[in-house]
Amino acid sequence: MRHYEVVLLVHPDQSDQVPGMIERYGATIEKANGTVHRSEDLGRRQLAFPISKIHKAHYMLFNIEVEQEVLDELESAFRFNDAIIRTMVIRRKGVITGNSLLYEEELRDREKDMERDRLAAKSEADRKAKKEAALKEEASSDDGKSAENVDSENAELADEEKTSVEESE
Amino acid sequence: MAQDKENTETGDPEIDYKNLDKLRQYIGETGKILPGRISGASSSMQRRITTEIKRARYLALLPYTDQHR
Repeated sequence: MRHYEVVLLVHPDQSDQVPGMIERYGATIEKANGTVHRSEDLGRRQLAFPISKIHKAHYMLFNIEVEQEVLDELESAFRFNDAIIRTMVIRRKGVITGNSLLYEEELRDREKDMERDRLAAKSEADRKAKKEAALKEEASSDDGKSAENVDSENAELADEEKTSVEESE
Repeated sequence: MAQDKENTETGDPEIDYKNLDKLRQYIGETGKILPGRISGASSSMQRRITTEIKRARYLALLPYTDQHR
């Protein structure tokens, strides 16, 4: 069995099929006693030049170890899959594992996206919290006034009681 | 502007079609591959560089030219 590196470019409109495709091709390879050493979803990338009027594509990278017949089968499957706009298969000398440079880049991008989402969510939450706090303050200041009134009334009552006690003496 | 000769071995894993920053050092402003006498790479390295740049171009990771559309 030989080692191959496969890169697939998927039409950006069919991006959501990518996880399914990774799973499906992985299953095909493993059923034929091949091995998937590395499979990466590199995400949507800007193309250096348009390919058939498309400016972005979803990249996938596989490092696999398969027999020739299985590779032929995979290649024909790639050809008949309309979502795949371009493929490249090259021979490699041995097992290649670990994240590729493009995947590292993609992971950094995802991290950044998540950070941005988190910040956005946080600022949203902050704004909500502030609003709620302001509302609560209004409510509590009302409460405070009424409580003061009650207190002063109580004090008056106590005074009256005191005076009444003194009179009785 | 000739660069210094790079003392990289032939088995250097840095030269790869996925290592775009490295490959960009070996293409000119117009996207052309720099000739070995300009880039300063040894002839064996230059051969590896050209194949990897061509792979990256096929996958639209690098441009063929700056005239694209």
